[in-house]
Amino acid sequence: MGRQGIRDRVAIMGVGYLKFGESWEKNAEDLLMEAVYNAYDDAGIKDPQAEIDAGWVGIQYYFTGLSGSALADYIKLYGKPMTRVENFCASGMDAFRNAANSVAAGTADIALATGVEKLMDEGGSGLPGFREFGHPVLPLPSAPAMFSMAATRSFHKWGWTKEDIARVAVKNHANGVHHPMAHFRKAVDLDTVMKAPMISDPLGRFDCCAMSDGAAALIITTPEIAESYAHSNDYVVVKANALAVETMTPWYKPSYTFTEFTSTVKAAEMAYKEAGITNPKKEISFAEVHDCFTITELIDCQDLGFSDPGKAAEDLKNGRFNADGEQPVNISGGLKCFGHPIGATGCRMLVELTKQLQGRADGLQVKDPELGLAHNLGGAFTAAAVTILGKKE
Amino acid sequence: MSKMVDIGIVRYGAYMPKYLLERRLIAEAWDFPSIPGGISVSNNDEDSITMAVEAGLDCLGELDPSTIDGLYFASTTPPYTEKQCATVIANALDLRNDILTMDITDSTRGSSIAMARAYETIKSGNAKLILVIAADKQKPMPESMFEYQYGDGASALLIGNIEVVLSILGYSSTADNVIGPYKRAQDDYVRQFETKHEGLYGYNRNMLAAFKTLFKKLKVDPATVRKAALYATDPRMASSIGKKIGFKSKAVEGVPFLEFGNTGNAFALMTLMLAIKRAKTDDLIAFGNYGDGADAFLMKVLDKSALLNLRKLSQGIVGYKNTMIPLKSYPAYLAKKKLLTTERYTRKASPVRTWRDEKFLFRLYGMRCRKCGTVQYPIFRGCIECGAKDNSDEVKMKRNGKIFTFTLDHLVGGNYYDTPTPRCVIDLDDGGRILCDMTDVEKPEEEVHIGMDVELTFRWQHPGANFHNYYWKCRPVRFSNKPEEEEE
Repeated sequence: MGRQGIRDRVAIMGVGYLKFGESWEKNAEDLLMEAVYNAYDDAGIKDPQAEIDAGWVGIQYYFTGLSGSALADYIKLYGKPMTRVENFCASGMDAFRNAANSVAAGTADIALATGVEKLMDEGGSGLPGFREFGHPVLPLPSAPAMFSMAATRSFHKWGWTKEDIARVAVKNHANGVHHPMAHFRKAVDLDTVMKAPMISDPLGRFDCCAMSDGAAALIITTPEIAESYAHSNDYVVVKANALAVETMTPWYKPSYTFTEFTSTVKAAEMAYKEAGITNPKKEISFAEVHDCFTITELIDCQDLGFSDPGKAAEDLKNGRFNADGEQPVNISGGLKCFGHPIGATGCRMLVELTKQLQGRADGLQVKDPELGLAHNLGGAFTAAAVTILGKKE
Repeated sequence: MSKMVDIGIVRYGAYMPKYLLERRLIAEAWDFPSIPGGISVSNNDEDSITMAVEAGLDCLGELDPSTIDGLYFASTTPPYTEKQCATVIANALDLRNDILTMDITDSTRGSSIAMARAYETIKSGNAKLILVIAADKQKPMPESMFEYQYGDGASALLIGNIEVVLSILGYSSTADNVIGPYKRAQDDYVRQFETKHEGLYGYNRNMLAAFKTLFKKLKVDPATVRKAALYATDPRMASSIGKKIGFKSKAVEGVPFLEFGNTGNAFALMTLMLAIKRAKTDDLIAFGNYGDGADAFLMKVLDKSALLNLRKLSQGIVGYKNTMIPLKSYPAYLAKKKLLTTERYTRKASPVRTWRDEKFLFRLYGMRCRKCGTVQYPIFRGCIECGAKDNSDEVKMKRNGKIFTFTLDHLVGGNYYDTPTPRCVIDLDDGGRILCDMTDVEKPEEEVHIGMDVELTFRWQHPGANFHNYYWKCRPVRFSNKPEEEEE
């Protein structure tokens, strides 16, 4: 992290997204176009060609879009710096990071941070493999298998049970019921989660987030410029933004515990330092954390310092992370309810944070939030991004 | 009694591929006795669906495709055996979604069956215009006489009750389990029993029976027929059966077999298109098709000028025939027909990478960092723990170890088979950590646990890049004793 950082130097002036789900009748172009134009409307952008200086789009899979044209062509905004960002499940939030840095550096006055993924177009169940581009024979487990190995080890180390992780699904689905943009809006009980078919033992179907299509967009600028746009009274400012990349093959690293994700720990450390946070348990009002699998959320809560080591399951059980708890986690319903269109997820979380801080959440509203945190974790616990947003000073 | 509404041919169209292979080149390639003429050869990106689309476009011309109420597709070589080809063709022709579609397959008689079904559908009042399209791209066995027989192509007829040019007066059919050409589901090439038997008991008997019934039913003398278009696999067959049916000898249209080969379902319709070229108002036109039975049709030209006008609306068989070019060689034909079995390289694995990494993939070497001492697998340039660059010694890994963590994966490549598969992170004895699938395990749910002793075993992994790709898996420890400790 640089000495200066970007704290309070970047503002979110408008956000846009759309309903996540199986968008069989839409192209990636439709999703991105709608998300971006919703953000334009929200920000009060009237002439994108004149007002937008640069754009980034988070996309993981090739069938969703290639290179900078995936943004330029989809929204028909040409002749500007446009970059595709790919960093596993943190692709969207990394697109935001690049856009924010550009605004802070002064190379763009108004920038687009977007993410999109069109997983239904790939046709398979489960994420597409990397086999064709990876090593011929060294094994590469599926995402559920990777996170299951973390679950097995966490059960062993902390004494957690399948019921402990199932509570994550129950909580997030209870939240998602209220969110009009969520893919799934149905509550589930503990019994249903526990008895669901096994995907990768110990993770069953309800422990895994779904394959979905989606897109989200944020328009970011400096606080000074935000003063003359639609959200001059309630724009949101970036308090911190960090990314940490670790190995893609933790199974070759003898010291790797599988009970904490070091990429998250390091990204959080950087972000808390930048935002001046010393006690995340108290200072972070609410968080959207990466619950690609139920086990992930429990480990996230410890890695982000919301729970002491080994205590996340207990905190969850005691209601600390509920919508009406001390520190709501995934009040939107999380990846469990929105599904996980890889490139879109990070931006979708930041849209949620922005709207929560502005008091206009589409789903359940956090009561008087001060600081919101969003977190992505992708690959084999490889890439973690942490962003902290706060209200206008 | 109200006047019968005419139902019949409204328009026609055809498609012939660009290439023609002279039979002489087949003869030269295999040292066969030569036969004159050639066979039409479609390109390697064409099949009976694409050719059907071309014929359909030729037939419809400027006609509004939304006026079409159905599409019946006939072929013995449909690219799909499960999935309706007619819907793909209808889609490409921009037809409506509320139309009637079907595929009629497995017999060269499919095209005339489609005509009869179109006639009945229109007669019932359920449709006004139905497209009948027949297309075939047969795959003849190389170095066989079948290569002389089959050409590729497509024919289309628009059957309807509006602006009819050739009215269908009636038709008659037979169905017969003859010993004709056949292809079992598992066969690559069409087969044929002794053709003499089929000629006598299949072709002759059925064509005769179908026409006899038809003329009796319509009370028409076959000698009054102006033109007869009859399916036949050689020109003599047509004239001989024509004579037996009672057509005047000059009435029987010559089949274009020598010109471009037997185009399967499209063939009889092509002969029909050629036969009506010079027909006049009120001429009677007979049409006969064959394949596991026979179909006989009698038609009447309603208006000569309308018939002549059809030639301006579509290229038809004549137009396409005139724009074919000869193929230069027999190998060019093999390539266009995809008759050469070629194994394409798949990108699913990189053999060069397997070769380069043999030290750790096959020999199972890892390394020990000189800076922090960590034993690790595989061989990296930098240490996975401390990052030290190029500062390590190679070490041979032990093949025994203990499970650090694992999952029982119920999804293998998105499919549920051979599951659950244990995927295990193993701490090897004397250092190093590795990820391996477990094999030779009967009850993973009961057997696999953290701390379990396992040993590595060399196994086949997958057929990527058309290689056998091998690597290590783990298995539960097979022997509790070392060999020398075994009791006698």
